[in-house]
Amino acid sequence: MNLTDLLAASARCQPQKTAFVEDATEVSYAAFAEKIDSFAEKLRSLCLPPGARVGLCFPNSVNYVALTYALWKISTVVVPVPTECPPEELHEIAASMELSAILSQKTLARSEPLTPDIFLTRFTLAHPADNHGLNLAFIRFTSGTTNARKGVALSHETIRDRVLAANSAFGITGADTVIWCLPMAHHFLITIVLYLNAGATVILARHVTAKPFLEAVNRWRGTILYAAPFHFSLLARDNSSAQIDSVRLAVSTTCALPQDVAGEFFKRFARPLVPALGIIELGLVALNTADPLKRWNSVGKPLTDFRVKILSPDEHGIGEVAVSGPGICDAYAAPWQSREDILCDGWFVTGDLGRLDSEGFLYLISRKTAVINLAGRKVFPEEIEAVLDRHPSIRESRVFGRVHPHLGEVVEAEIVLSAPDANIENLSHYCREHLASYKIPTRFHVVPALPRTPTTGKIRRVAALAKT
Amino acid sequence: MIQPSEIETELLAFLRRDIFSPETNLTAETDLVAAGFDSMSLVKTLLHIETKYGKWIPESEITNEALANARALAATAARILNET
Repeated sequence: MNLTDLLAASARCQPQKTAFVEDATEVSYAAFAEKIDSFAEKLRSLCLPPGARVGLCFPNSVNYVALTYALWKISTVVVPVPTECPPEELHEIAASMELSAILSQKTLARSEPLTPDIFLTRFTLAHPADNHGLNLAFIRFTSGTTNARKGVALSHETIRDRVLAANSAFGITGADTVIWCLPMAHHFLITIVLYLNAGATVILARHVTAKPFLEAVNRWRGTILYAAPFHFSLLARDNSSAQIDSVRLAVSTTCALPQDVAGEFFKRFARPLVPALGIIELGLVALNTADPLKRWNSVGKPLTDFRVKILSPDEHGIGEVAVSGPGICDAYAAPWQSREDILCDGWFVTGDLGRLDSEGFLYLISRKTAVINLAGRKVFPEEIEAVLDRHPSIRESRVFGRVHPHLGEVVEAEIVLSAPDANIENLSHYCREHLASYKIPTRFHVVPALPRTPTTGKIRRVAALAKT
Repeated sequence: MIQPSEIETELLAFLRRDIFSPETNLTAETDLVAAGFDSMSLVKTLLHIETKYGKWIPESEITNEALANARALAATAARILNET
């Protein structure tokens, strides 16, 4: 099967229905399907072989979505690449994900125009990427050390299954209008693909402040909001009288929902924020529609077809969260690891520490891993340390998250200098050349040595440190 | 007392370096949102101001007027930073 068939079904059922609104222009399902066909035709002329992996480095737009579907239509695999990646990181991603090409809105070195505002850059591969016989549609890389990016690989069938499972909780139909503001490079499958399969309308909101966002909700009678706590915090602090009466579901995702944001949003709009748990390897695992007011800090009960268990719980019932259910990723792409190898007796071990209450609501307490969550963007310490450790004035480094009241966590680093008088004046500039700007530590602490574990001598990892 | 002009200079340097590409040709009067300033840009800018000056600009201050351009944002930041 191919996900484009599901979209084509939506387009056939309701060709004149609005699929997207972008900059106040409405794009019908029929017009969107034509755009996909037109892009697919152009892409076919490039002779990309089936199964080739193609990076998509594009800002949120109808073109972003149409290019994704066009790449699926010609049986290639889409690898989203955030637009903020500096050139060096982009090339590392291309190499580790074995990309045949990247489509971008900006010209890159050696790029050729596909249309006047879409460019293609080809890469030479020693061997074609091996998808191990899977009908792959999508690989989302998760950062790791620069030499070991894991790509979460998903087939068309797996995406279909997880979209169906997610919509058993969202209940999105053709009557829904979604106000969209998250980056598509990070959120796409159980959101945009789901909305299009359901025949809903998606309003692409480019708004940063509350006022135009609320105007968009009311102008287009938005029924679904899906955003990060930071966005809801901006809305909750809006001092106008605008309401959101048309909204039936406001989902808070990407990072933990702070209590004050949940409380102020409800006070301002008389609508609860519904926390959700999405995991790239699994899709949507839980959604707290059952009791978002009293249990604002719970991601809810697992979806119908999912099971959650707590491994080795302590006396408070807290342990590592393991999940099983439909739509589990097919493989890790780099290095290749099959689903069977990823799972532990059929369970995916999440790396999150949590507990279940007596009614089955799941609470996430902290993470077992040291990954940093900056306003919903995942930052992996090892990746930043690998860059810092290459600086001539740094002997070694440790990167960690610092709890931040508005953003979840921010990135900080401890560095050990290579010599007492080593010069680190250019460190920020150096980081900007090698890292996306949100990954650059906000503070560098010069320390004489890094804490290490007594047994292995490895750098001791920490979950986010308290705010200073 | 921090002068708005001082923050404006600093903010422009930050925005040119970390948010916008060189071809944007950003000035103090450039409409930030029209030039592509998105919510992640806002997160990074608020974090930069907090790191540099030690104070978070509250979400209630993030209005269309405050984000009209770098000059307006600098004026908002100066007012909040100078509050005792």
